[in-house]
Formats: sequence, C-alpha cells, structure tokens
Amino acid sequence: MSIMRIPFGIRTHFFKSLLVGSVVLSISILAGCKNEKIDFSSQVKPIINKHCISCHGGVKRSANFSLLFRKEALDTVESGKPAIIPFDAKHSEMIRRLTLTNPEERMPYKEEPLTKEEIDILKKWIDQGAEWGDHWAYVPPKPITIPDESIALASMGGSSTSEESPIDYFVQEKLADMQMDPSPRADKETLLRRVYLDITGLPPNADQVRKFMEDESENAYAAVVDELLASPSYGEKWASWWLDLARYSDTKGYERDVGRTIWRYRDWVIKALNDDMPFDQFTIEQLAGDLLPNPTDDQLIATAFHRNTMNNDEGGTEDEEYRVAALLERVGTTWEVWQSTTMACVQCHTHPYDPFVHEEFYQSMAFFNNTRDEDTHGEHPNLRMYRKEDSSKVEAIRNWVLKNEDQESAFAVTRFLKTLEPKYHPHDFDEFINGELIDTKWLGIRNGGSARLRQINLTDKDYVLLNHTTGSVGGVVEIRLDKFNGELVGKANLVKTQKGRVALPVRLKPTTGAHDLYFIFKNPSINSLHPVSNVEWFAFRSDLPGKDKPGYDNMEQDFFSLLQAPVDNTPIMIENGPEQRRTTHVFERGNWLVPEKEVQPETPASLNPFPENLAHDRLGFAYWLLDPQNPLTSRVIVNRIWEQLFGYGIVESLEDFGTQGAKPTHPELLDWMALQMMNEYSWSLKELIREIVMSDTYCQDSRMTAASFEADPTNRWLARGPRVRLSAEQVRDQALAVSGLLSDKMYGKSVMPYQPEGIWNTVYNNEDWEMSEGEDQFRRSVYIYSKRTSPYPSMIMFDGSSREVCVSRRIRTNTPLQALVTLNDSSFVVASRSFAERMLKSADNPQDQIRNGYAALVIRDMPQEKLEVVYDFYKESLENYSTHQDEAEKLMVSKNATPEEAAMTTVAQVLLNLDEVIMKE
Amino acid sequence: MNEEFKNISRRHFLYESAVGLGAFALGSLTGCNLSTSAKKLVDGVLDPMAPKAPHFPGRAKRVIYLHMAGAPSQFELFDYKPELAKLNNQPCPPSLLEGKRFAFIRGTPKLLGPQANFMQRGQSGNYVSDYLPHFSQVVDEVSFLKGVHTDQFNHAPAQLFVHTGSPRLGRPSIGSWATYGLGSENKNLPGFVVLTSGGNTPDAGKSVWGSGFLPSVYQGVQCRSEGDPVLFLSDPEGIDRELKKKTIDAINDVNRQHFKEYNDPETLTRIAQYEMAFRMQISVPEVMDINNEPDYIHQLYGTTPGQASFANNCLLARKLVEKDVRFVQLFDWGWDSHGTSSDGAIDIGLRNKCREIDRAMTALLLDLKQRGLLEETLVVWGGEFGRTPMQENRENKNNPFLGRDHHVEAFTMWMAGGGIKKGVSWGETDEIGYYPINGKVSVHDVQATILNQLGFDHEKLTYQFQGRPFRLTDVSGKVINEIVS
Repeated sequence: MSIMRIPFGIRTHFFKSLLVGSVVLSISILAGCKNEKIDFSSQVKPIINKHCISCHGGVKRSANFSLLFRKEALDTVESGKPAIIPFDAKHSEMIRRLTLTNPEERMPYKEEPLTKEEIDILKKWIDQGAEWGDHWAYVPPKPITIPDESIALASMGGSSTSEESPIDYFVQEKLADMQMDPSPRADKETLLRRVYLDITGLPPNADQVRKFMEDESENAYAAVVDELLASPSYGEKWASWWLDLARYSDTKGYERDVGRTIWRYRDWVIKALNDDMPFDQFTIEQLAGDLLPNPTDDQLIATAFHRNTMNNDEGGTEDEEYRVAALLERVGTTWEVWQSTTMACVQCHTHPYDPFVHEEFYQSMAFFNNTRDEDTHGEHPNLRMYRKEDSSKVEAIRNWVLKNEDQESAFAVTRFLKTLEPKYHPHDFDEFINGELIDTKWLGIRNGGSARLRQINLTDKDYVLLNHTTGSVGGVVEIRLDKFNGELVGKANLVKTQKGRVALPVRLKPTTGAHDLYFIFKNPSINSLHPVSNVEWFAFRSDLPGKDKPGYDNMEQDFFSLLQAPVDNTPIMIENGPEQRRTTHVFERGNWLVPEKEVQPETPASLNPFPENLAHDRLGFAYWLLDPQNPLTSRVIVNRIWEQLFGYGIVESLEDFGTQGAKPTHPELLDWMALQMMNEYSWSLKELIREIVMSDTYCQDSRMTAASFEADPTNRWLARGPRVRLSAEQVRDQALAVSGLLSDKMYGKSVMPYQPEGIWNTVYNNEDWEMSEGEDQFRRSVYIYSKRTSPYPSMIMFDGSSREVCVSRRIRTNTPLQALVTLNDSSFVVASRSFAERMLKSADNPQDQIRNGYAALVIRDMPQEKLEVVYDFYKESLENYSTHQDEAEKLMVSKNATPEEAAMTTVAQVLLNLDEVIMKE
Repeated sequence: MNEEFKNISRRHFLYESAVGLGAFALGSLTGCNLSTSAKKLVDGVLDPMAPKAPHFPGRAKRVIYLHMAGAPSQFELFDYKPELAKLNNQPCPPSLLEGKRFAFIRGTPKLLGPQANFMQRGQSGNYVSDYLPHFSQVVDEVSFLKGVHTDQFNHAPAQLFVHTGSPRLGRPSIGSWATYGLGSENKNLPGFVVLTSGGNTPDAGKSVWGSGFLPSVYQGVQCRSEGDPVLFLSDPEGIDRELKKKTIDAINDVNRQHFKEYNDPETLTRIAQYEMAFRMQISVPEVMDINNEPDYIHQLYGTTPGQASFANNCLLARKLVEKDVRFVQLFDWGWDSHGTSSDGAIDIGLRNKCREIDRAMTALLLDLKQRGLLEETLVVWGGEFGRTPMQENRENKNNPFLGRDHHVEAFTMWMAGGGIKKGVSWGETDEIGYYPINGKVSVHDVQATILNQLGFDHEKLTYQFQGRPFRLTDVSGKVINEIVS
C-alpha cells in the first residue's frame, strides 16, 4: 500500500492537533486497550451520515464545522471551541451539544435528539482517539484467506460434478453463520437452460439438450460452459449489458433526436467480448484508444464509448453549452461505470458523504476536456470509413509523406483524411457583420459581411479548406489579416456547388505567426437577405511534401478527391492539438457560466496516487483506473458480472460503492474475486464468468420454501440458485429462438422489426421507422434500432434502458403492460404461429406436441397436471376454431389455416407466457 | 386465486419490506387468511400502486396538467401590457440585452406590442385577451401566476425542467412522483395517463413522462386516439374475448401449479398482472371511447370522436379523473411562435392554436365543476417558458412574420380546482413584461405547490438513489401560498 493511500494519515501529520493525537494513540496501543474498539465505518459514519452530515459536511459547513474529513472535524469551529478533542469526549463540544436539553443549542438542531446508544458510541469513539476509518471501498482489497474448505464440502453434500470453487467456501461460511442450508444442485435440465440463458441469452436447442443429457461424464457441464463462452452469441448477450452502461443509442437525443451512425461501436463491443479482450484493454481502448500509439481504426471506434453522449440539434442552442453538458456527463458516467462512485454529486459541491471535494470533479473533468467534439450538427470528429479503393489511396498518400517527410507528418496526414482534424467550426467565429450562424449551426455571411476567426497560427500553412455549399454563382471569399480591411492573404471564387458540401481550398499568402483572420463574403448578385455561402468547417493545411517529385500532382489530386469521397462516419474521440487546448475551471455550483479557478487533470486525493510515469491525459487516467492499487475498478466489474448472473450484486447498489451505498453481503468473496480478476484471470471476463457459473452456489436449485423465502426473500445469502425474470432482450430472443425464426446474422446497421404505427412523432425530424425486411425482422434484440426519445416499446416495457443516461442496473418490474406485450404484440403472435408449426411437426398427437413445445422452452418434461390444463385449453380452442373457421384464418393470416394450427398457436401463446418461461430458474 | 396477493409486486419492495412482511406474505401463500389490517399492510408495502396516504390530507386527489408544448406567448393571452403597445417597434433598451442569452435574437431587436385585445373579465376583473373568448367565462375559477420564471431557454431541457425538476435526463416526472406517493385508486386503469395532440410528441420526447430512477411501474402510460389506445391492448385478430379469457386462465392455472413447486411470490404477482391486463383490455377502450357521450358534452368541448385533438383529450381527461386516474398529463404541440412562418406567427398561428384549445379547456373546467370533481381535481395550464417582448430577429434580420423568441424571465401559468383560490392573479411583471416585479415564482415553486395540493411536503417526498434522497424540487421550491385557498 502506498503512502498516499492513507489520506487521513500522512497528510494529517501536518496538523498539530493530530500530531498530538497520533502520539497518544501509539501510546494507547502500546498500553493495550481493553475497551472494545469502535469501528468508524460501520458504527460512527452511519450516525454522522444520518444526523449530522447534511449541515456539517460537504454541502453545508454550518458553524464552520464539517465531519467529512478528520482534518476538518478537528479544525477550529466558529465558536472557537474544538468540537472534537481526541481522547477527551468529556470536553468535546460536539458531545456537549448533543446532550443539552435547551432546544436552541441541542444538536441536531430542531431534529430528534440522538439515542443514548448513538451518543455512547460517539463518546467511546472520541475517547479512543476519534480515528477516522477508511470506507471499505476506498481501501484496496487485501489477500484473502479462503474459508475452511471442509465446512463447504460437507454442506454441499458431495453432489457436485463441477470443479470446486472457493466461491462456495465463502458463501457456505456465511450460510453456516446464519444457520441456513444450501439447496441441492439443480436438475440437469434446469441448469442447462439457466447457463445457456446466462451466457448466450438464448435457450438451448434440441440437439444441444440431447448432447448434454446424454453426456454422463463428470465434465459434461464444464464442457457446455466452455462451448457457450466460445459461442458468438455470448458477445451478443453481454453486449446488451455493457451498452446500457455506455448509453449506446442510434439517435442523438434531445429535441430532434435524429439518427446517428454509431453501430460500429456496438459491433466493436460484441467483438471485444467475444474475443475476450481483457477488461483492462477494453477500458483503455474505450476511454483513450485515440491516444494509443498509431491507433487502429478499431481502437478509434472504441472511443465512441464517450461519443454516446447526446448531441443537441435544436435550433437556438449554443454548441458550447451542450459540449459542456456532454463533458459533465462523461465525468459522471466514467465514475459510475468504473468506480461506482457518485461523482456527479460533486459537480455542484463537495460530496455530501464521500471523501471527494468539489474541485476534484473538475480535476477529473480536465482529463476529458480536450477532445475535439463540440456538439456540432455533423458530430465531428468522425472516423471516415472509406470504400476499399479509396482506402488504398489513403495508404498511398501516407507512404508518400513518410518517404518525403517523416513519420509524424505521415500520421498527421492520415489523421486528417480519416477524421478531418484538426479543424475549426463556425461557432469559433465572432465579430459577425451582416451575417450569422444559420440555425445556430453553419456560417452564413451575406453580401459584404464578415466574421472573425481569432489567433490562427499561419506558419507553414499553405491553404485553408472551407467545407461549404452555395446555390448561387458569383460568390467570392476574401481572407484578411488582423482587421476587416487588413492585408488580403487569400481569395477564392465560391463556385456553385452541386450536391452537398465541397471542401474548397483557398490558397494563403505565406505568413508567419498567429493572426486574427477576417473572412469576407461577397456576391452582389444575390438577394441581400441570403447568405453567400453556408460553411460547415475550416481547416488550415500545408501542402503535401515532395512538390518537386514526380507523382506529386497525382498525390495532391487524390488527397482532394478523398475529401469528397463517399464515407461512412462513426463519431469518435480525438484529442485537441496544442493550438486548440482548453483550460478547465471549477464551475461555481456546477454552473458552466460561472467558471472559477483553473484546475489541472488530477485524480482524487482519497484514492490511489496517480502513477508518476504517466501523462496526465485520458490515457493516463485509464491506466490509473487499472492500477493494482485502485481499490474500486476490479471490485466494481466483478460485482457487475455477479449481478448479471445472480440478479443482485454482492453490493446491491451497483452504481454506488460509497458510504451511502449498500454494504457488501460477502465482502471477502468480493475482494477475493477482485484479486483473482487482476492477478489470476488477467482481467478476463470469460474466466470470471466461468469461475462463477462453475460454482456449486450458482448451480443450486432455485426452489424456495416458505422458510427460505422468509429467511431471505431476495436470495442475497444464496441458499438457493438464482430465479430472476429474463431481460427485455431475452424475452423476445427466446420467443424467436424456440419458434425457429431467430436470425443468426451478426453485426451491421441497426434493424427495425415490427413496431405499431405512430410511435415516432418526433418534432423536426422527418425520420421514419422503416420496417426491416426478411431475416432482419428476426435479428437478436441487441441489433434493434434504439431511439432515445422513443424506445422500442417491448424493450422499454420489460425495463430495458432508453439509453439516455448510463444505467448500472435495470430495476425489474412485473406489470400488466408486460402481459399485453407477450400476449398481443404482433412480434409475439408471429412467433407463436411458427412455434405452433414446429410443435405440430414434432409429434402426431396434440399431447405430445404440447409436451414438446413445453420442453423446447424449459427443457424439462411437462408435469402431467400442467399438461392437462394446457391440453384442456387446446381442446376448447380447437372447438372454437372448428366452429369459426374464419377466426382461424384471421389468426393464421392464411386461407388454408386449419383449426388445429390455430388452436396450437393459442397453445404456443400460453406456453410463451408462462411464469417459468419468462423467468430464469 | 388469493385476492390478497394479486397486487404483490416487485421483489425490491419485498426486500425493503424486510423479513417481517415476507412472513405475512407466506402466511397467505400457504392458505391462511389474512386479517384485514395485515392485508392492508401487505397491500401498502408490497403493491407499489396501492393507495397510500400523503403527508397531510391533500386538497386535490388528482391532477390534470395541460402543457402547451412550444411555449405560448403570455403577451397575447393573459399578461396585458399597454405600455408595450406604445413602444411597439422601438429598439429594445440595451440594458435588457446585456449578459442575456437568447435562442435566436441577435443584435438589437425591436419591441413588439401585444397583438391581441384585452378586457377585464368576470368578477375578479382579471385580463384575458380576445384570443380566448370562451375562457373568459371561467376566469373566476382560476389563479393566474404571472411571474413564473425558469432558467432553461431551449425547448427540450425546459420541458424536462418543468416536468422532472431537472433540465437533464434521468429524473422522474411529476406524474410519476404523484403515483409513487399516492398510488392509484383504480385497479383497472393506469395511475398516470398521458395524452398528446398537435401532431407531435413534446420536444423532450417521452422522458417528460418517464419514471427516471423510480421503478417503471410509475411511468406515464401514453393513451392514443388512433390505433390501440394503449400499446398492444387489442387482442390479435382471430382471438376473441372468450378465448382470451381461457388463454389467461390456462396460463394462470399452470402458474398456480408452478407456484406450489417454486413458492416464489413473483409468480403470484404475474398471475395478478395477467388478470389486470385482461381487465384493462376492457376498461381502457371503454374510458377512451367518447362516442357515447351526450351531444351537449360534445358541443361543450367541441369534440369529434376519432380525432387526435386537444378537445378530445380534454374530454378524455375528465373521463379518466372520473375513474380516479391519479394524474392525467396532456401535451399539445405547436405553440412555438417565432414568426418564421404563418403557423408560427403571433397574429395568425397562435390565434389558431388558441381556437383549438379555448373551448375545450373552458369546457373541462365547467364540466369538472358541474360533476363536483373540480374541488378535488387540480388543473394546471402552462408552457415551458415565456416569450420575449421583442420581435424575433433571427440571424439579425426581422423574421417574415410577427414572432417572439424564447423568454425565461417571466411567463404566465394558471391553476384551478384542488384547493386553489378562485379569481386570483398573483405576480406582476414590469411595464413591458420583461421581468417579474413582484410575486416571482420558480418552476420548482410551481412543482412544490402541485405536490402541496396533493398533500405532500415537497421536501419530504423523496426517493433514495445513488446514495442520497432525491426529490422533484431538487434543492429548492417553496409552496405558493398566495394562491392556495
């Protein structure tokens, strides 16, 4: 453990009162203390959080007294009396004020007094030195001794066919403490369905079931687990989980909420998961892929993680306001996803409960504040994916520059062709004369008007590109130096553009140093109310090297043609160059319009120190998160995976490991897995998942009894296996899978399966839900087009995320609207028809057909009693359709429909709606 | 089936209810009868939609909130400014522009006088313009708030602010808070219903009726005039009611058997929810059908069955609160009068929009009153911000039509019924209607007042999330006692 990790230790030596305290403390330790030691985190902190912190903490410091940090608590307060004197509760003002009877003076002011027990704890704690304890989550996990294996083995009854996992020892130890008994191993069928749903999101098909049931070897289950982890469906299933955290969506959000092409990021996640990219690399590429040396296109696409923030196209919005909104959101999201820390609280003030001060939010923000994205309509910067023949031109240009200049220039040219960065946007302009930003987006200057771009370094710049469009002939742009009528350094005709914008080069007179540039637009032939041109961006460029070499002209021509080449865009992160660097300031009460003092990128003092060999940039930040001394990252990811498998995290509040979050039910197990993750699995998610699903704990039967439900209603102590409702994606994918409709096509543009009319009515949008054709209607749900202001109905009704903000856990509900989806949504009706067809083909009598349908869903044989209910229903349904052939035709959408087909379709509906089908058991 | 258990929901609630209540649950699962008080306890804690008592007896039992999305101009409806008429076409004083941010106004715009004629109406003598001739009849029923201010000047964030207390996404809407706090009295209809008109959903999308971090049972359910009134409400073609009943019976019979084996109360919840879904399939189309309303009601509201109109939605709102739906949220889109087109012109489009709502919102108040519902139904009307006293000059040139930009400093809302004073006007703006000069209230104050009328201390209606108690009014809000009777 490094020195900096003891935030209240070393630092506090500088304070006199503490110095005295620690000396006395060491004496008291030497002398041996017979009183039971009061634990700050579990005994004192909850009292402070409940009664004191709202007035004496991070938000308010009434009477200049704060209990957030020890240093502050021992500081002089307004009255001049020390509130806490270590080892002397009797003379500590805090205790006196808690015990007074005068309501004007007694604390908590105007609230219920503390109980005697609470006051006793505080007194004892002060008498023991008023030590501050570190909250468990901010201390790195220490090596754990695995509990006695014999207890565990005995209680598992030796029925295990899996490998023994230390997970079981930890769980068994707790169960023994609580006098609870574990459940027996689930039957093979139930377990098979459970592990299939958990790893691939789909139930097993008949062949897979047969294979497993026939395999009587000891490692039959292990073999299935390995097979599933290697299956491409694994990545598709787990991507949905990560995409909630990444708030991935196919639209920009806010008012217009138009489409955004960022599905390559979704595909990147699926591939990375399937490749079992270690979580450290997974983290680095997403947070800072662009800062890696010579990043690949994939590594750039990974950075779209933080381009999933919303982008506001509403007319009249200021780009900077929404750039800052996205930035603030990125800080909060990063801290939530990797640290389960509610850093967003610190945007406006010091954290009310946890050891993070106001300034530290902005120090975190400083890491993220220098990316090129600026809430522009075009979502710049984008990674431009060229067609194949154009890609080879990019490569040829790169090689040309490498040959004629150097590596750095070659990199810069490639970066420009691939991302159009660095460049300037219309919102960078000021001093508008006779012109404005069109719809607050594009530069539109009318005849004779101008706008200024400040302090552009022109050294070695040969031309400026104007990416513009104009519908009129005769326009001219002039660029003048330092004033409206300053020296003319560039001039070009604005040729009428044909289709879309054109990057027009305006040659610049050789000039050195930084200058203000006045762009003057002229076209006397057009209506004086119309802009001469509509410009999206400006980029100052040098010519390619090797002007005198043969082939230069071709290179140059290719360079310009590439700027107009057809490309597919994906928004990515690119860091600002030195000329566009932003400073970061603390915002007073979180308000971006009130910047206060400047801050530098830094990580919070109460967590692990920032490694000295790292740069203070996003890449350094990512490495800091992954530092073995970071107390949170590994625990957080382990807890998230655990929740996906068991339905609850070991720390229930997945989003908050702070002092107000839930306490871990199995802290040692969490720490053991966290250390395994870093040290043994090398951050492999598949290894972690394997360890968990192989455990006896996971493999338990999930039946409850009245007693076990009463003892543990939500199964936090794991005396039984998980019984949890399927996710929105699983409910739909399962129905498609058993009905044989599910397409296994992977990747690509998001799809639009059936959705009722009139769901999309977004203003100023003009986009429609255009139903996909063929197998695209039946792709896995992870590929469904996700629109923020209007999510896919059946997803949202089953608690899916609208992807507007980062969602750590979906709160599961059970509502009548869900019943309406699985009973009436046309997608489920279509699935029922196909499912019925399969059932009909599977046997020659209705009982067996029903039995086979049931088994396809839950793998188990259908109990006789259930079969009777469903078969009776079948007969009634058949009678109905036999007398109403027209109804059968309607249900089956076919003139040739038989009553049997219709009746079996209604049976399929019954089966798809069973509780045991909607649940994982 | 165990009636006691048809409403159990969400394991989270079970968890919070702790072991004690779990025991109650099991008592009845195994067939014991619950005492009435125990049943109440179980219902109250385990069913998130069970009716709950507020902090103190509320004057309003339900709310109808009429939101004019796009922000109607206070200058043409309620905030009469004769001085502004005199200053028409004068340049705006620079002191009003310094340091201000507008969506579209640039440079120095010109002042724009009111384009409507005003008269004092009713006993109260409050001003209403001739854009709203019908509404003048009910002016004595309402309390105007003339000095509402906000700090968001773009539609989507401002709408989120009005409905969730925060301009950013992720917070629950007022209707969600209300149903979270009070539950629902009607077990066959959703507790929070949303109706939209004007051809578009509000700018901020469905988040303005989302449940944010509250469980999704509290999110608004959008009822539609075309297609299924609630998504997936109608049975598939070829399945009639009787067969659907049998389908649900078969599902529930199997589930009951399954429950015997697994003992998971979640299964009982599912049984109950399938039964409620079946009942909703009947009760929702019934309540959403206005064909059977008498002629005089259609004349009163100006309704035509089958249309997606604001008038139809007003009538539906009355029908819904009559059935004890807790919160009915109406959004009418098309109030953004910038003057860039005739639809968005203060003297053309705005007048037409007023015609669309005038008769219906007047009828709503009259109808609620004649049925004795107004006393316990709070009706709220407003937009997400106000409009400028200046003519908009987008891109620094005059717009082709008369229009006003977004204005955050002052706008008008009104409330009626549910314990709100009658015939009151609270708050006053300066001579040109730029700033409030007294009775300035914030969006959070309006929210605090709505919750107050429902019986809640807005500082105490909280939900623990991310380690702290969140509330609708964030860290501010003060009940506007001046309009509370």
